[in-house]
Amino acid sequence: MKRSFKLLFFAMLVLLTVIAAGCGSSEETDAGAGQQDSPDDTTAEEQASQDEDEGVVNLYTSRHYDTDRELYDVFEEQTGIKVNVIEGKGDELIERMNIEGEETEADVFITADAGNLHVAKENGLLQSVESDVLFENIPEKLRDVDNEWFGITKRARVIVYDKDRVDPSELSTYEALTEPEWEDRVLIRSSENMYNKSLLASFIELNGEEAAEEWAAGIVNNMARDPQGGDRDQAKGVAAGEADVAIMNTYYIGRMLNSEDANEVEVAESVGIFFPNQETNGTHINISGAAVTQHAPNADNAVKFIEFLSSEDAQGKFASANFEYPANPNVEPAELLQSWGEFEEQDIDLSVLGQNQQEAMRIFDRAGWK
Amino acid sequence: MNLWAVLSLLFISIIIIPNFLIGINLFTEPNENWQHIKDYLLINYTYNTLIIVVFTALATMFIGTSLAWLITSYKFPLRNFFKWALILPLAIPAYMGAYTYHGILNYTGVIQVTLRDFDIMVDQKYFNIMTIPGAIFIFTLFLYPYVYVITKGFLENQSASIIENARLLGGNTFQIFFRVVLPLSRAAIIGGVVLVVMEVLNDYGVANYFGIQTFSTAIFRTWYGMQDLDSALKLAGILMFLVIVILVAEKLIRGRKSYSSSTANVRPIEPKQLKGTNKWLVFSYCSFIFLIAFFIPVLQLSYWAFLTFENVFSSEFITLVYNSVFVAGIASAIIVVVALIIGNYTRLHRGFLPKIFSRVIALGYSIPGAAIAIAVITIFMSIDGLSATVAEFLNLNGAMVLRTTLVMLVSAYIIRYMAVGFNAIEAGFEKIGSSYTEASRGLGMSTIKTFFKVDIPMLRGAIFGGFILVFVDILKELPLTLFLQPFNFSTLATQAYRYANDEMVHEAALASLFIIAVSSLCIFYFYKILDKASK
Repeated sequence: MKRSFKLLFFAMLVLLTVIAAGCGSSEETDAGAGQQDSPDDTTAEEQASQDEDEGVVNLYTSRHYDTDRELYDVFEEQTGIKVNVIEGKGDELIERMNIEGEETEADVFITADAGNLHVAKENGLLQSVESDVLFENIPEKLRDVDNEWFGITKRARVIVYDKDRVDPSELSTYEALTEPEWEDRVLIRSSENMYNKSLLASFIELNGEEAAEEWAAGIVNNMARDPQGGDRDQAKGVAAGEADVAIMNTYYIGRMLNSEDANEVEVAESVGIFFPNQETNGTHINISGAAVTQHAPNADNAVKFIEFLSSEDAQGKFASANFEYPANPNVEPAELLQSWGEFEEQDIDLSVLGQNQQEAMRIFDRAGWK
Repeated sequence: MNLWAVLSLLFISIIIIPNFLIGINLFTEPNENWQHIKDYLLINYTYNTLIIVVFTALATMFIGTSLAWLITSYKFPLRNFFKWALILPLAIPAYMGAYTYHGILNYTGVIQVTLRDFDIMVDQKYFNIMTIPGAIFIFTLFLYPYVYVITKGFLENQSASIIENARLLGGNTFQIFFRVVLPLSRAAIIGGVVLVVMEVLNDYGVANYFGIQTFSTAIFRTWYGMQDLDSALKLAGILMFLVIVILVAEKLIRGRKSYSSSTANVRPIEPKQLKGTNKWLVFSYCSFIFLIAFFIPVLQLSYWAFLTFENVFSSEFITLVYNSVFVAGIASAIIVVVALIIGNYTRLHRGFLPKIFSRVIALGYSIPGAAIAIAVITIFMSIDGLSATVAEFLNLNGAMVLRTTLVMLVSAYIIRYMAVGFNAIEAGFEKIGSSYTEASRGLGMSTIKTFFKVDIPMLRGAIFGGFILVFVDILKELPLTLFLQPFNFSTLATQAYRYANDEMVHEAALASLFIIAVSSLCIFYFYKILDKASK
């Protein structure tokens, strides 16, 4: 019983402190700001004295890979610029920056999917960057036309097939998967998934809205089951014989092949990777990209940081650890990726993935793609 | 207006503002997206959501109540263990349970792999948990403890004489359960079920992972996917409306009846020894629930954690544990205190305002976490703006900045989880009734003195119960933490999520296990105290 009193007392104390902090904010600054460093003072001073102190770069990122963290550490060591990180989903971070507006503390925004990057740009959250380093390291087609974002890794969305039941010669294009012969043989995840939105957005650009809608309806018709799970689950579905092909990103296969779970390795080994549309308009690729935010308090550091990410060293790490394709053409993809062969990529301005995103969602809904 | 009323009003308005921001959107002009949503999606959302909610509510009600009743009124092997162990599933976040069960059942899961060793290939559809029944199964397993805890607490302290009388009058087990226990504890049961329902309505993780379109996933889809905050808030508004209906219904079902004991000799029920088949039936039932709702998922996670331990464990991990416990502890403590203040106020004052208070407080629980996050961040931006203006006016360099600090995150937790703490405290107040308080007041003690000397000691159980429930909830919390985390601040839940979201469920296992371990420890520790206190 005594203990419960102590706990309650403690809780009361905490509450009072919080209330005092909330209500008495002006008094506190009144009394304290002159002598003491409130947290805000520190950042203000840091900004002011950036020449002496290397300062910080504040990062909003939707990439959560451990390799990325290691890269930030390397950057900190090389430059003395501290990397502060907030992780979240791309669309959530965009919304957060929208709300924060000019007051945002974010300097760099990193996210997967060009669609997201475009949305951020449309919302006026990004600024144009003139950097010879970036122009050199990142090919034009992986950058925004106004240089508001820069691709840092590439991902290919391909057809994965069961090696026993499907002869690769049966495969040709994404479009061909809507043919009657593929009825109940196709797996793909839900329309909520941004990779699918971007895939359909690219079809809207290449083939027109009508054809894109026909494609979505055709795939829905040929689905072996309602969309569910992630990309790995599509590969497992193929291995389990639920379907013969699946549309998914290649790096998941890379990760499964390197999984600590022998059963996942087995699944990945039982499927083959097919790059579709090689004779027509190329395989769909998407990017992870980085951008300097419109109201970045530490814009110079932000540029340095993105330049670092585009460097050959950093790109090598990206490419070897996460089985993505490097954006910097001077860097070779990991051996595993090379073993899958080279392929023709879709030749579209990646901004359209964002421009067509909403239309893509509506098409999915009309087609009944869950 | 006394101090209680002023404080209550203050807290209520903090909670109501985000709700208000959302509610107001129901009446704005719909845009073209809304038409699209109505045409293609709304029926499906509503149907899926209702099915899941109704069946989960029924299942948790049955499992939670039956367990609570068996454990309070009978003796059987391991009863003392089950008493608290059956609360443990609450320590497992439903989304983690979903990942785990999918991991167990899917093609590379232990069951199918074992079967393949014997050359048995199975039809996948029998092992597919990513369906609506699958979601109901997951929610039931990991949410039934809400009903169990609240009902058990009620039965233990309230029902002794009634149940014993029913026994004396020759009622058999089923008669007692359906005709005495259920009607008697209906307020407690419904209180628990309402928590379950709100938890389900608000779920994003499970539905999203299983690819089931529900209201909650629809809100995110509309907001982020369609870039349409207005329509998303409309959906959130509908959801809120639904919750209000549920809450009003709860009040109606509870009616005016209160079963608080008016006599002083509240005594715990004396459990009856079970014999023969019954003994083993009850034992098997409890074991079965414990196995599938706690033991098996933990075993699977342990195996995964074992596989990935070296990659995942680092000194940073300790920080994660500390962060998680720290924020959850602070927020839970505040919630309990606020709940006590408002609970005391609504109990002592009859009238329109107090009644509204106790309902409104639950609203935070009904809104999708991300919507609360938006509201909270907006509010804090303006607080910061205000503080900047004041600082400028007073010619100071630098104002107080609260956004991107823990204060913002903790505030959001409070808004979101007030209902959980308040429900527990309110039930506690209902249980003690007001006769003691009135006596104390009659003998000349002030309200405040009475509160500390009479009410608080009697509410001990409810206070700890509320604290546990809130603490464990916050430890598992996801959308708010993800959205409002300060720089370089992660919790176990966000780390588990970041791995799982990148389809690295194995790597997510260690953080999940820690959440489960910490939560389990709390449950155990507080349970022991409670048990001692009630003896």
